[in-house]
Amino acid sequence: MGPSILVAQNLSKVVPSAEGDLTILHPLSLDLDQGDSLAIVGASGSGKSTLLGLLAGLDRPSDGSVVLAGHDLGPLDEDQRARVRAEHVGFVFQSFQLLDSLNALENVMLPLELDGRRDAREQARTLLERVGLGQRLSHTPRQLSGGEQQRVAIARAFAAHPAVLFADEPTGNLDSHTGERISDLLFELNKERGTTLVLVTHDERLAKRCRRLIRLDAGRLVAPLEP
Amino acid sequence: MTRLPFMRLCALALRQLLRDARASEVRVLFFALLVAVAASTAIGYFGARLNGAMQLRASEFLAADLVLQGSSAAQAAQIDAGTSRGLTHARVVEFTSVVAADAGIQLSSIKAIDPSYPLRGQLRSAATPYGSETPGGGPAPGEAWVEARLLAALGLSLGDSIDVGMKTLRMTRVLTYEPDRAGNFYSLTPRVLMNIADLDATGVIQPGSRVTYRDLWRGEPDILVQYRQAVEKDLAANQRLLDTRDGNRQIGGALGRAERYLNMASLVAVLLAGVAVALSASRYAARRLDASALLRCLGLSRYQALGLYSLQLAMLGLVAALAGALLGWLAQLGLFALLQGLLPSTVPPGGIAPALAGIGTGLVALAGFALPPLAALGRVPPLRVLRRDLLPVPPSSWLVYGAALFALGLIMWRLSLDLLLTFALLGGGMIAALLLGGLLLLGLRSLRRLLVGSPLPWRLGLGQLLRHPLAAAGQALAFGLILLAMALVALLRAELLDNWQAQLPKDAPNHFALNILPDEREPFAQRLREVNATSAPLYPVIPGRLTHINDQPVQQLVSKESTGDRAVQRDLSLTWAAELPQGNALSEGDWWQTPPPADGPPAVSVEAELAASLKLKLGDLLTFDIGGEHRQARVSSLRTVHWDSFQPNFYMIFQPGTLQGLPATYLTSFYLAPGHDTDVVALSRAFPAVTILQVDALLGQLRSILAQVTLAVEYVLLFVLAAGLAVLFAGLQATLDERIRQGALLRALGAGRALLVKARRIEFGLLGAASGLLAALGCELITWALYRYAFDLHWAPHPWLLVLPLLGAILVGGAGVFGTRRALNATPLSVLRET
Repeated sequence: MGPSILVAQNLSKVVPSAEGDLTILHPLSLDLDQGDSLAIVGASGSGKSTLLGLLAGLDRPSDGSVVLAGHDLGPLDEDQRARVRAEHVGFVFQSFQLLDSLNALENVMLPLELDGRRDAREQARTLLERVGLGQRLSHTPRQLSGGEQQRVAIARAFAAHPAVLFADEPTGNLDSHTGERISDLLFELNKERGTTLVLVTHDERLAKRCRRLIRLDAGRLVAPLEP
Repeated sequence: MTRLPFMRLCALALRQLLRDARASEVRVLFFALLVAVAASTAIGYFGARLNGAMQLRASEFLAADLVLQGSSAAQAAQIDAGTSRGLTHARVVEFTSVVAADAGIQLSSIKAIDPSYPLRGQLRSAATPYGSETPGGGPAPGEAWVEARLLAALGLSLGDSIDVGMKTLRMTRVLTYEPDRAGNFYSLTPRVLMNIADLDATGVIQPGSRVTYRDLWRGEPDILVQYRQAVEKDLAANQRLLDTRDGNRQIGGALGRAERYLNMASLVAVLLAGVAVALSASRYAARRLDASALLRCLGLSRYQALGLYSLQLAMLGLVAALAGALLGWLAQLGLFALLQGLLPSTVPPGGIAPALAGIGTGLVALAGFALPPLAALGRVPPLRVLRRDLLPVPPSSWLVYGAALFALGLIMWRLSLDLLLTFALLGGGMIAALLLGGLLLLGLRSLRRLLVGSPLPWRLGLGQLLRHPLAAAGQALAFGLILLAMALVALLRAELLDNWQAQLPKDAPNHFALNILPDEREPFAQRLREVNATSAPLYPVIPGRLTHINDQPVQQLVSKESTGDRAVQRDLSLTWAAELPQGNALSEGDWWQTPPPADGPPAVSVEAELAASLKLKLGDLLTFDIGGEHRQARVSSLRTVHWDSFQPNFYMIFQPGTLQGLPATYLTSFYLAPGHDTDVVALSRAFPAVTILQVDALLGQLRSILAQVTLAVEYVLLFVLAAGLAVLFAGLQATLDERIRQGALLRALGAGRALLVKARRIEFGLLGAASGLLAALGCELITWALYRYAFDLHWAPHPWLLVLPLLGAILVGGAGVFGTRRALNATPLSVLRET
């Protein structure tokens, strides 16, 4: 394992509601090394996605701090955080979230281009071949099955060589067989590329494949980080 | 669920609609209908009421709203028909008689009026000849108001007496202006105005005298219509009804064109309604594909599913249309409040018709344009609940769209009452849409190839357009239609105004000089040159009546109430000329090059409208009664005449050298700059027999009407612009959900705001430019047809239309970025939530 790549300290999230402030994430700290993998598990509404959003810099915490690849996200504005994400972060979503207006190749090129890479097309092609979609480059998302769409999404997530890959229920919309193959792919690439993996899932089997695991219940940490 | 009673279906539809009320596409559809109905209602009201106000203005030229005129007194029943309906009445009797004084006699045109004359406008008079005018009043019994030239002719002054028949009248004021005199410049004899109470005492009117009886009416437009209907069928052969359109040709022309313009603007509003509704209805249907499939799974039949959504749309449409009509009504109230100082104090209210037309427009547009997407809802396969990619069978909606277009055409026709205009707009629009849509589709497809190597923002922006080329082409067409409508309205406004202005240049003649005796001709022209007046040539005038066409009496040939009928009822001013007068253009035949034939009848050139009304052809033989002498002439050419040019104009122009020997006087018109009143007075004194008519007042009135029309036209343009923009935003709203999702995703992947803005600008800029290009092409196509067939204007290409693509790019681009700003500001976190 390398040096710390993702450090959160006393991270909490409070949202206003009709009945006064509602704490959806109680203060929590964690520290992930380069190449590590972490599963966040818990029931629906336990705060998993909130934590993922805060760690990835998609949202601001009410209190506490996140340092991602050496950048303290606290003082950064949305555009600056977007810059950090473009350079260091990849995403895989439960509903794939491919852009319908782009074909498979262009979807994978997207993060490379956002990062200003000149070899975007070549890199994207290599990655799509790696996930087994070398023959489907010019297909649009509508022309692909769910499993194929998620493979494009994974290729896209790894395209820019992210330091941290965030995956939100990556197998949630897939049948168990396809889900199995997708999670294999995810971990293979994780290992090949030395990416840090942060995974939110219901799936205990998928969670167990991660080196570390935290369990949330009503916004509180119930199973501590195992080193 | 085999049978679902209609009422339960209604209740279900209502419940679903209420639940759906918060859904954005329902709101957009509601908003689009609201805007469309409000715009067309407001324009409808504005047009109708303004038209009413302008009619009111124009009625001054008639001194009434409606006139019953005849050569015998109106029957008691004809008067009762008006007074019993509450119309205000005034009687006027006009005849020509000799006025006698100690110093001599003078043939005069006498007008006996009752105290309520005039019913519209005011008389103006002065206490001394050429003194300052005061409006209002009229001669009391025993008094006469006379034109200054009568005083000059008889060598009398105010306070002296004259005899009209057996009655002696004291001249108390100099008559300077009669509102209803304007329409008739060629009254050759001086006017004497007297009280109708003295009429019997004159003893002038005997059976067989040539007298014109005029019964003037004023009242509410609908009552006037009732009166017209009651009286019209029993009119005597010598009677006819005159309304504001007859009052004055100049005003009639300006009004007619203004009305056409306003109708055009409301047609544009109808088209906008269609675009708005089509945009939002198709999204409404698209978002209900899943729900429809689910309902089918739950056992609803195709027709029940279709019925359910149709009912929802109908309910939505009704509420939106009612609210829109109310809003439109309020908007025009505000508009008239803004225009208060510029319009007459009483603007007729406009009735309920514009509101009903607005509602009808909205509902028919909804039915027409929402039907095809709705029909797709009925065809959704239930299997779609399992496989979302299953789309309904592509609709063969030619028939449905055809029906929609037909319905729209009907509304447009109803609004404009003008088939030609409707066909020009509808047909031109459809041909343009098909042609340009096809071109655009081709263009978009070929753009796809260019896409491969382009930078990211271009690929994102273009990609958005190219994902569904058909939808993009449709959108470009829709925005194009809006731009086209706006450009068309702006273009026609400019050209109509230019046209009016060109007919009324700054130095349009403001004086007419009549009754110039042959031996005064040269000295008079000399004096005009001395005072720097810009003068038309002097034309001889010989009064003569057309009696026979090809040896058949004209009375048998003309239809009642036609231009021809009016022309043969009275003496025409006949003239001769070697050259075609300015402002005249030959429409058929040739102008004479050779002297008249020695053995046959000479040639005559006839004004084209009169010729059409009398069904005259080249070569027809006309017989005139000129002071008891019969003269014949053969039609050699037809001329179109600009009646509103204020130049001397003639129905009949003879070949030179053919009317010589008959007693003629001369007439001309001239322009004298303001401030030369003393020159006019001097001219009158030097030539006492010459009648000089000042038409400044008429010109001024005409100009002020034109100014009002201009203002109206500008406001209507603003309305159309506002409606167009609103519809544009409605269209953008329809794609917002998808954009928000995309924006959030791109931000999550690390895209900065700048990239998103750039991609949006490219997308909407391209869309706008394409729309602008379509609009420019379509606009040329339609104006060509409109000018040629509806407005009778000369068409030339409009190169400035090429700014439309730029304008479209800026307008649609700006509105697009602004309208989708929520998508730029979408928090990237939403990609995690929306699963």
